[in-house]
Amino acid sequence: MDRSGLDEMQQSKRNKIGNQCFLLLLYLLLIDGGLYGFGFRWVEYPANIMILLTLCSGIYVVRLIAANAYVGPNKGKDRTAVRTIMTSAAAVLTGLVVVYLLKSVDLVSKAGIDEIAAPVLFITAAVAITVAVTVGVLNRIQTRRED
Amino acid sequence: MSQKDLADAVGVTRQTINAIENGDYNPTIRLCIKICKVLGKTLNDIFWEEDTYG
Repeated sequence: MDRSGLDEMQQSKRNKIGNQCFLLLLYLLLIDGGLYGFGFRWVEYPANIMILLTLCSGIYVVRLIAANAYVGPNKGKDRTAVRTIMTSAAAVLTGLVVVYLLKSVDLVSKAGIDEIAAPVLFITAAVAITVAVTVGVLNRIQTRRED
Repeated sequence: MSQKDLADAVGVTRQTINAIENGDYNPTIRLCIKICKVLGKTLNDIFWEEDTYG
């Protein structure tokens, strides 16, 4: 078992799903670029990239959970619970912040999308990094306690 | 011994043991050896299939 805590079958599933989602993202971006080349813009940049990234990462996480490759076989149930709670809290927090930010933004015009893109990307990344670091620290503390 | 007990003993999920039993997943030799040690059997006892390999 590696540091991710997944067993060998879960790791192989995670790798397979990751590769597929990466290729999906690549093809979607190529299609998006191709459409733009033909003069068709379905959503203004950078919202189109954000939507594609969110879609692919969402598919990745949902497929991981569906394939039972998100949380590994831990010795106790603590880590699973901590991880689930932290992920749920992060999802709710990110959702609330994004909704709050989007409330006052004009999503139809390019200027409005440009204005909100950077804060949304920054906040999402910040929340993800915070959660990852917190979960890592908690896991380390719990592992020491078990040893 | 249940699938869950064996899974806990070798450090994998119950789903992995189930997949191995059903032939849906080929375990690494490292996991095979762990399973054999836990069950007190040899690799031949558990993983050799006469019908398949003659």
